[in-house]
Amino acid sequence: MAENTLETTSAEPIAPQESYYRFNSAERFEHMLLAVVFIGLGLTGLPQRYAGSEWAQSLINLLGGIESIRIVHRILATILMAESIYHGGIITYKLFVLGRKASLMVGFRDLRDLIQWIAFNLGIRQSHPSLPKYNFGEKAEYLALVWGTLVMVVTGFMLWNPIATTSILPGEVVPAALAAHSGEALLAVLSILTWHLYNVLFKRFNRSIFTGRLEHDAMEEEHAEELDNILQGHVIQDPPPEIINNRNRYFIPYAFIVSSLLIIGLMWFITLENTAITTIDPVPIDEVYELTISADVGNADTGLEVWESQDCAECHGAGAQGTPGTLNIGIANTSLTFEEFVDKVRRGPADMGAYSPRKISDEDLAHIYAWLQSLDK
Amino acid sequence: MTKPQQTAMILTLFGVVLLGLGYMIMSQPIMTYAQDTISEPTGDNSFCLTCHADSDQTKTLADGTELHLGVNQEALTNSVHGSSNEEGPLGCVDCHGADAFPHDNPYPETGRAYTIKLSLACTNCHVEETENLADDVHYTAITDGNLRSASCVDCHGSHDIQPLDEPISRISETCGDCHTTTFEQYRNSVHGVALFEGDENVPTCVSCHGVHGIKHPTTALFRNRSPELCATCHADEDLMKEYDISTNVFNSYLDDFHGTTVSLFEQSDPNVPSDKAVCYDCHGVHDITTADDTKSHVVRENLLATCRECHPDASSDFPDSWVGHFEPTFESHPLLFAVNLFYDILIPAVLGSFILLIVIDIIGRIRRRFNRQGGH
Repeated sequence: MAENTLETTSAEPIAPQESYYRFNSAERFEHMLLAVVFIGLGLTGLPQRYAGSEWAQSLINLLGGIESIRIVHRILATILMAESIYHGGIITYKLFVLGRKASLMVGFRDLRDLIQWIAFNLGIRQSHPSLPKYNFGEKAEYLALVWGTLVMVVTGFMLWNPIATTSILPGEVVPAALAAHSGEALLAVLSILTWHLYNVLFKRFNRSIFTGRLEHDAMEEEHAEELDNILQGHVIQDPPPEIINNRNRYFIPYAFIVSSLLIIGLMWFITLENTAITTIDPVPIDEVYELTISADVGNADTGLEVWESQDCAECHGAGAQGTPGTLNIGIANTSLTFEEFVDKVRRGPADMGAYSPRKISDEDLAHIYAWLQSLDK
Repeated sequence: MTKPQQTAMILTLFGVVLLGLGYMIMSQPIMTYAQDTISEPTGDNSFCLTCHADSDQTKTLADGTELHLGVNQEALTNSVHGSSNEEGPLGCVDCHGADAFPHDNPYPETGRAYTIKLSLACTNCHVEETENLADDVHYTAITDGNLRSASCVDCHGSHDIQPLDEPISRISETCGDCHTTTFEQYRNSVHGVALFEGDENVPTCVSCHGVHGIKHPTTALFRNRSPELCATCHADEDLMKEYDISTNVFNSYLDDFHGTTVSLFEQSDPNVPSDKAVCYDCHGVHDITTADDTKSHVVRENLLATCRECHPDASSDFPDSWVGHFEPTFESHPLLFAVNLFYDILIPAVLGSFILLIVIDIIGRIRRRFNRQGGH
């Protein structure tokens, strides 16, 4: 990246000021968006990790129930992914069109800064290390954010689209993705609650990400090297317009194609399948009476005896021709198959009631069936 | 005491008495079954049995049913209401009513209507069983006009009543008299087979469905609560020890996506349907078998088909995304095990580092402040 560096030095050193410019409005907006989305994702995600505990259940109920928070979680995830695409575009523009230094890239100097900073705090070293525009702590946070988002997007895809995932990868990947998604989330939230909040709230109330400017004493401690540059008049200057225009001729079509592809990818991500959001209703089990014998075992004479020993004749008539004045259903020489016949008796059609094997056995039904078939209609 | 004071006193007393009376009336249950009519059994049936003893006589009712008028004396004496009854043997009029004789009352239209009418007589004494009757599926079906639904005597019998749970399998057989196809499935299930082999621990129909307050099993409420129902036995270590079944099944279900969702529904909106699987969606309802049975819905060979009931496009590796009811080990789930291990180390390591750095920063700040003050 060094050959792209076009940071130039302006003429005059300047006098110390109360505060110094640090973030432009687009960067401040990105931080706000990211903060809202991050908090939202944490609030809708972590209770799912701890769904067994009471605080999580109260929180889930407060936020509208588990199905609602899952939808909200996915909407926020979509916003975060769209934001990531935008961020990628901005970074590419800054690096390759404006020719800026990759000021958030971790290097060996950060390790040196860290060691010197520890040594200073413990009294081993006399001077505070002179820290750059983004110091080792901020670089670590930024890289953690990029890494974390990457893990969350990849594992989130697997959880959102488990069927597509398991058509390529082994099934075990899905619970592993859940474990990673859940573990990374906990890591991210706890890191923000400790490291980030300590540094921007408790150590010193640092409002620069909202106001765009950082006070002199904060600059002195946390970004001495950057402050030095500013005071000596080293100001980052953009390349001349003709160079920018020239580079834009390549960048704009590239950005258009890549971001279009990424947005198509994002749409694909969120619409590929809905099995994790909704499923079809469970198929009702069709209960069929399983017959163990065939009609052949039936004997017409025995059938008549069984018929008379049961209360069949009350409605169907002594000769199975029906009994006037009652339900009057003749079933002599029925057109039902034996299987249908048994199924009807066992289920019990309207007004008849079911007859269980305890009331009348399959064999006896075979006998009755044989007798019925021996009659005239 | 002056006159107005006396008047006030009397009015107050009157008010207190009125309030007390009102409370006594209001605190009575609004609807009561006829439990007040419990009285000593009347025992002697010789008068009725003069005609009804072992008679072959029948009376044809308006709908054509023949009402058998004979009473099997032996069956009656040996029944739970007979000579073994702690309160003494019941008399005919205890159920049939003191106004049963002379037979002036009009005959019932149908035999069925007569059965149901006489079933109400059971509630005279069996108060406890009637407590949840208002929600009972059979009872509400009858009051909604479906006279084919079960009344007391359909399950318990009438003159020949014997304990329904002796042997315990008789309970399920009784339900099976009407619910034939369901019973056939149950009889061949792991629970049913054990029941008929004499195992008294396994659930009969009423263990899951209840007895005299049977709720409809197709409601969202029943579904959302069903995992807890299964867990009453399957999370009971003493009970499961005998069968060598893991009691981790319930907790591992709750830890999973399906179980987490269903238990949250159960806690917050038990009446809202959830489409996430409960125990019986995978294991089957009445046809449940051991998990290694070739007919089991959850045995490896059938698992994909079971998943596809809700996830129709499930790929052949999809079932593997369910970790199972056992703790994942390195052997069973190496990747999952590795990821968990990774975060078990990474989270404390990162947080520990952050906290250490914060402590170092605080130490530095205190030192500098101290040095500044001490330096002067």
